[in-house]
Amino acid sequence: MTYDWSVIWQYRGALLSGVGTTILLSVLTMAIALPGGVLVMLMRRSPIAPVSWLGAAYVEFFRNVPAILLVYWTFYVLPIVAAIDIPPFTTGLLALALSVTAYNAEAFRAGVGSIRQGQWNAGLALGMTRSQTFLKIVLPQAVSRVVPAIANNWVSLFKNTSLVSVIAVGDLAYNAMQIRSQTYRILEVLTALAVIYWALGFPQAKFVDWLQKRYGVKE
Amino acid sequence: MTDAANSGRVGADRPPVILYEEVVKRYGGFVALNGVSARVHQGEVVCLIGPSGSGKSTLLRCTNALEAIEGGRIVFEGQTLPTPALAAPVRRRMGMVFQNFELFPHKSALENVAIGPRTVLGTAKAEAEEKAQALLVKVGLADKAASYPSELSGGQQQRVAIARALAMEPEVMLFDEPTSALDPETVGEVLNVMKRLAEEGMTMIVVTHEMTFARRVGSWVVVFDKGRVVEEGVPKQVFEQPREQRTRDFFSHLSWSG
Repeated sequence: MTYDWSVIWQYRGALLSGVGTTILLSVLTMAIALPGGVLVMLMRRSPIAPVSWLGAAYVEFFRNVPAILLVYWTFYVLPIVAAIDIPPFTTGLLALALSVTAYNAEAFRAGVGSIRQGQWNAGLALGMTRSQTFLKIVLPQAVSRVVPAIANNWVSLFKNTSLVSVIAVGDLAYNAMQIRSQTYRILEVLTALAVIYWALGFPQAKFVDWLQKRYGVKE
Repeated sequence: MTDAANSGRVGADRPPVILYEEVVKRYGGFVALNGVSARVHQGEVVCLIGPSGSGKSTLLRCTNALEAIEGGRIVFEGQTLPTPALAAPVRRRMGMVFQNFELFPHKSALENVAIGPRTVLGTAKAEAEEKAQALLVKVGLADKAASYPSELSGGQQQRVAIARALAMEPEVMLFDEPTSALDPETVGEVLNVMKRLAEEGMTMIVVTHEMTFARRVGSWVVVFDKGRVVEEGVPKQVFEQPREQRTRDFFSHLSWSG
């Protein structure tokens, strides 16, 4: 068997463009799923029962449905239900954001739950309202504690963006598959794909570890 | 409580700052406070003593409505205390110091002291920090303004916590076993700060196991047992001539005679 690694270089434009799409998709998804996660976490913690149920239902639904099904659903079903034309990139973004929001919400919830009652009392005793105490005292500490969990979600998301290739979004995985079907160089293309995902993902994970060490709150 | 029983108390010529009337607090089936009546006058240092679980810390947490009461009432400056959800305006007029300090770990010492006025009173940053620095000087930590709680000893953390409470210019200071979590060698520095506050005329309620402090700095001592006030009086009387057997029992358990 002979290998022809030159196809990778030959198709570098398509691969680079795919990398760009993958990064953009990850960044935009997280940009939605971070505030989204805080929002859903707040809903789950709401003293108003129906709001809290809605938050819980959201998390349990999107956590327990395969992400690829969400991608298909937003692509094929949503345009029919909503009666509007939505470009593939947007439907892919929506599917990923819905899913990652659920995971982020759970991470934030665990973080908020880990802050002891004494910190709440210290804020309240100064005359702060519950929401002031939450925003100034509890949330910043909670966020700092869940940086590793959110980082985990980020690294998962970065790889899971490959799911949008099934709806013809030109991400890294999709473009690689296109190259494979044009060149039949399956081993070279898939190996290069793995190397590229790893080379992009590993430094991100390390960077977040460093952030945590550098800015984490010490007890 | 008769007026005669209160004669000689600091500030007893005026209405009490805090009045407890038959206060009841339960946790499920456990009765933490079983009809507690007491009063605190302007300028008094009232020390609450008694065995662990006797209700003194609970009473303190009810005083600034961190906990709701089930019966009786607590009157602060002539106003019945509201429920916890509505108590923020009352709490800002009382300072509280906790057993475990509860400094905000993500804030420097200076920020810890400034955050109350900044958040609650809307004080400008520069003004709040200038005042915070002055308070750190007052508790002897002028050089620790930029330090984070994790970089401070227990005694230093507790002094920052006292400064944090003072920043709100409270009318009353509530101390919940402020030295119980401290290494023995740092207890003194915290008690010294508290003593100085008392000498300045601050009205203080102190839940404590430091009997020397209660005796020397306290102006009124209230003895708790099983959610009730067993006995109260000036320190000299309570410590030297306790009227109640349960008070004597409590004192006898304090000294180890193995």
